[in-house]
Amino acid sequence: MRNRLELQEITRTFEDGGTQRTILNQLSLEVAEGELVAVMGPSGSGKSTFLSIAGALLEPTSGHVLLDGESIGGKSKQERSEIRLRKIGFIFQSANLIPYLKVEEQLMLVAMLAEMDKAKALKRVRELLDKIGLSHRRKAYPEKLSGGERQRVAIARALMNDPAVLFADEPTASLDAARGLDVVSMIAKQVKDQGASAVMVTHDDRVLQLCDRVLYLENGKLNRQA
Amino acid sequence: MYLAIREIRFSKARYTLIATIMVLVACLVLFVTGLAQGLAYDNAASIKNMAATHFVLEQHAEHRLTRSQLDQNQFEEAGLIVGIENAEPLGVRVTTVSPSVDSSKIDVTLLAVNPQGWLAPAITEGSPLSDQLIGHVLVDDKLSDVGVKLGTILVDQASGIRWTVNGFVKNESFSHTPAVFLNQQDWLSLQVQTAAHEGNESADHPSYNAIAIKTANENVQKLQAALSHTEVIKKSEAVSAIPGYKEEQGSLMMMIVFLFVISAFVLAVFFYVITLQKTSQFGILKAMGARTAYLVRSVALQVLILSISSLVISVLLVQLFEIVLPSSLPFQLGFTTLAITCLSFVIMSLAGSLFSVWKVARIDALDAIGRTAA
Ligand SMILES: Nc1ncnc2c1ncn2[C@@H]1O[C@H](COP(=O)(O)OP(=O)(O)OP(=O)(O)O)[C@@H](O)[C@H]1O
Ligand SMILES: [Mg+2]
Repeated sequence: MRNRLELQEITRTFEDGGTQRTILNQLSLEVAEGELVAVMGPSGSGKSTFLSIAGALLEPTSGHVLLDGESIGGKSKQERSEIRLRKIGFIFQSANLIPYLKVEEQLMLVAMLAEMDKAKALKRVRELLDKIGLSHRRKAYPEKLSGGERQRVAIARALMNDPAVLFADEPTASLDAARGLDVVSMIAKQVKDQGASAVMVTHDDRVLQLCDRVLYLENGKLNRQA
Repeated sequence: MYLAIREIRFSKARYTLIATIMVLVACLVLFVTGLAQGLAYDNAASIKNMAATHFVLEQHAEHRLTRSQLDQNQFEEAGLIVGIENAEPLGVRVTTVSPSVDSSKIDVTLLAVNPQGWLAPAITEGSPLSDQLIGHVLVDDKLSDVGVKLGTILVDQASGIRWTVNGFVKNESFSHTPAVFLNQQDWLSLQVQTAAHEGNESADHPSYNAIAIKTANENVQKLQAALSHTEVIKKSEAVSAIPGYKEEQGSLMMMIVFLFVISAFVLAVFFYVITLQKTSQFGILKAMGARTAYLVRSVALQVLILSISSLVISVLLVQLFEIVLPSSLPFQLGFTTLAITCLSFVIMSLAGSLFSVWKVARIDALDAIGRTAA
């Protein structure tokens, strides 16, 4: 099994009123193909920071992030945006769909930005909507969807570019227990199907059973237990 | 593009509202511009119609044709330099006449020209000016509104001279008064008569107000050097020195500029508020890998769609308006002016969106993560 995501000794410090605060301290992580890793931790422990660095949104102070074995360090803003477009999928907390795009257009947008072949893109949109069970709502606007349906569309959109890694930041925060389980099991299943790696930050204990590994972020490091 | 068009499609009401405001402002801009042009033409039509490039005026006349006085010698000297066929004497006098049939009075501007020269106007009715027809004049067709016809006799109030209307010309006016064209003999006798009226007797050789010149710019220096006590000015300078011209155009211009600024600001505020509302959305798009340039183009495209579509509607409306407008209202919107106005409108709109563009560029993809997006 290959590791689609690797973090090597990531350190990140923030300047805070003259003092240096180390949020991530020599943090390392490997996530294999088809694996879903949950990351938990107290508020302010650096989970979002960790996700931003792994997701090419933020540069680490030191250390390397490898996607499919390739380092994404030392790249320009534009190059990082290109990497996100082609290699990474994001699922955010809530309201992360574009309100004026219909369900299928949400997915087509990714294809458009990545300049995918139109016919191929249409085929993939149909496939993904089938998988998340929302084919019948493909012409609906987000405002007409339920919270769970919206997160399912967000999952499909994150998978549209066939990413190496899927990042989810508290994807179940705005959902009730049953919907939360639905969404996470869908993420787990799609990650296995597509052979991607996935990292999910969550506060939700109920969904941990669906994850392959659960890690706790504390004192800048990821541990096996709290 | 993908996002811009779909957003307008989705938020039709919002974009229709702003487009309506833009249409109203654009209509007003076009209308005031047309009015300014119309008034400018009405004010200075005769001078603008002249094929001259420059005018020679007396020094210290402050560019005013009516104040300047030149004599036959200066005219002949000018002719020697630019070529006799490129110099034409011009007499200008504002006066009041009354048609002999009734006692009404009309302010007119007398323009004395050489009937064979290039200042002689084209007639629309009657017969042209000639050296042989003493006491016959051409008048602007606006005078027909007050009952002047071919053969009507006009009595000059200052000198008591009588002229017979022998033809009509179109769009000839000076300082908003209709023009009356007369030949040089009549101009001379008018001067003699006026001098007699005022107790002077020195008016036996003719004097003119200006010499109209057709020449390239490089000859102007030579001309200026050769003619002492004169000033050679461009046609546009002579036009803006017509009484009231600068003031009228200045205030209309100010209105137009304000309207442009208002439209730019309305758009700027509209797009800025919308952009602020969409901050988290832009963050998500950036996190997904959309380039800033792509998002900026998307905003610019929306502004272009709005301003161009409202311009198209406004141009149609103004054209309809022009049809129903009474002909006495001076309104003139030529193609060039229309094109320039439309272009400035689009440019001002784009300038108005700069603020939002700057905002969009500053939004960080990081905002998408770890924040409960509203
Ligand atoms: N740009 C920044 N400048 C300074 N300090 C920052 C910055 N970003 C994050 N921090 C600090 O780093 C720490 C970790 O922040 P982070 O958002 O990663 O926490 P978190 O684990 O996601 O918390 P939560 O569970 O509440 O979302 C916090 O103390 C925060 O104040
Ligand atoms: Mg967080």
